[in-house]
Amino acid sequence: MNNLVIGQYVPGDGLLYRLDPRTKILMTIVYVFLLVFANDWQSYLWSAAFLLTALLLTRQGLGLYWRGIKPILWLILFTVVLQLLFSGGTPVLFTFGPVKVTTPGLINAVYVVVRFVLIVLMSTILTITTAPTAIASAIESLLKPLKFFRVPVAELALMLSIALRFVPLLMAETDKIMKAQKSRGMSLSTGSLIKRAKAVVPLLVPLFVGALQRALDLANAMEVRGFESAEGRTRYRELSYGRDDTLAFFATLIFAIGFVWLSIL
Amino acid sequence: MTDAITIKKLTYAYPDQEALFKDFNLSVAVGEWLAIVGHNGSGKSTLAKLILGLLDFDEGQVTVFGQVLSEQSLSAIRRQVGMVFQNPDNQFVGATVADDVAFGLENHQLPSIEMPAKIERALKQVGMADFADREPHTLSGGQKQRVAMASVLALEPKVIILDEATAMLDPEGKQALLQNLKELKARYQDELTLIMITHDMEEAAMADRVAVIDDGRLVFDEKPETLFLKGDRLRALGLAQPFAMDLQKSLGIMNPSYLTTQELATWLSTLKA
Repeated sequence: MNNLVIGQYVPGDGLLYRLDPRTKILMTIVYVFLLVFANDWQSYLWSAAFLLTALLLTRQGLGLYWRGIKPILWLILFTVVLQLLFSGGTPVLFTFGPVKVTTPGLINAVYVVVRFVLIVLMSTILTITTAPTAIASAIESLLKPLKFFRVPVAELALMLSIALRFVPLLMAETDKIMKAQKSRGMSLSTGSLIKRAKAVVPLLVPLFVGALQRALDLANAMEVRGFESAEGRTRYRELSYGRDDTLAFFATLIFAIGFVWLSIL
Repeated sequence: MTDAITIKKLTYAYPDQEALFKDFNLSVAVGEWLAIVGHNGSGKSTLAKLILGLLDFDEGQVTVFGQVLSEQSLSAIRRQVGMVFQNPDNQFVGATVADDVAFGLENHQLPSIEMPAKIERALKQVGMADFADREPHTLSGGQKQRVAMASVLALEPKVIILDEATAMLDPEGKQALLQNLKELKARYQDELTLIMITHDMEEAAMADRVAVIDDGRLVFDEKPETLFLKGDRLRALGLAQPFAMDLQKSLGIMNPSYLTTQELATWLSTLKA
């Protein structure tokens, strides 16, 4: 579980670390949105070049990103096979029983893989360079307009950051309960499907009871330290928009214009 | 002079249970170090929650520095009384050590620009300044408790309640936290009132005064030097004597000035010389 790179923050000092988290979130959204419309090799190449620049600006080793892609290799392979087998069209490259592999199918498969990898890498760049708390406060800041519709944005952001904070703790607890139940003879990997599903119950019950107890304790600790409402609190880490952010927006703009131009061609 | 905390005729019962406290009285002087001891379920932790308004009592009155605890005075009182809880993991709000200390400051709406200095100062007081950017799961239990202590100290309370704060720590972490408490008390003197809820008699021996609670009743309320001479009666309440007192008894001496193992060891070694 611990070598999962997706969603993990890795401290560093590249240019992308210094950007405002709001900038990074918006850049990622724009990038992913545009990528959905990529339909020829030029636009994919252009997108890949943009990604590579961002990747180098994180100043993290490429091995880190490879580890980010590795766990989803099977998923990628699966989509490739689907695309190859069911795309249809002509000309047919070769047939294998009832299955036909066509040129458009092959091209589609390559595109899907590239698109998939680019999207995953871009989001990995975001999470690797941005601490979870920074993401939470950026989301709060970006969603501020929703306050107009009485959406409790500050509360939601606080809930999000606390949830993120408790993920490693609950993972460790799950591990502990699993070992405790295994030592009592529980098995999650043998027996029929129903039997295995039933074996999950003695795992979930203590996990939920423990989580509720933690929630109560945490609520007490927060209240005692003067928490009354998520609204109106000051911020230890203030988000600040700087020159680097303007630069990043220009870069994104150039990318977007180039992308649209390549698509129209 | 008004007391730091006064509890008068307190009555409290958990829902659908017999009253835990009936006409309970206790006061804590300003600058005092009070230990509240009792076996599990004696009501000592409940008492701490009642003082901070985390539980609503049925009858009676709690006064903090002359201010009566009520719905209106609750936030003012919580600014004066800080609390460190038992479980190190369940009171860590921030994603990093510094963020956790900042949480209370943010609640009190301290301007952002003043925060780093206050956070650093609080962390220094517990010896955790080098850990400011660490995430909680990379810390030991004792270190987390010291961060919890720093989070409370940053708010500059006049009273700190420690609710079994060492119960889940290893001996090393426990010693470090207790040592830290001693230093803080020595530094702040009468500006800091400490209430330590514990079932560990070695800890209780550090206090100026020990209140023994059994089933919601105040059984003893006296100095540790005299309390720990009553070994058999403490045992009847499900409590032990400090090891130092047990040892003295076996050696046939009874000197209540040496209550902790360390003190006794030092004294015994001077005797030999």
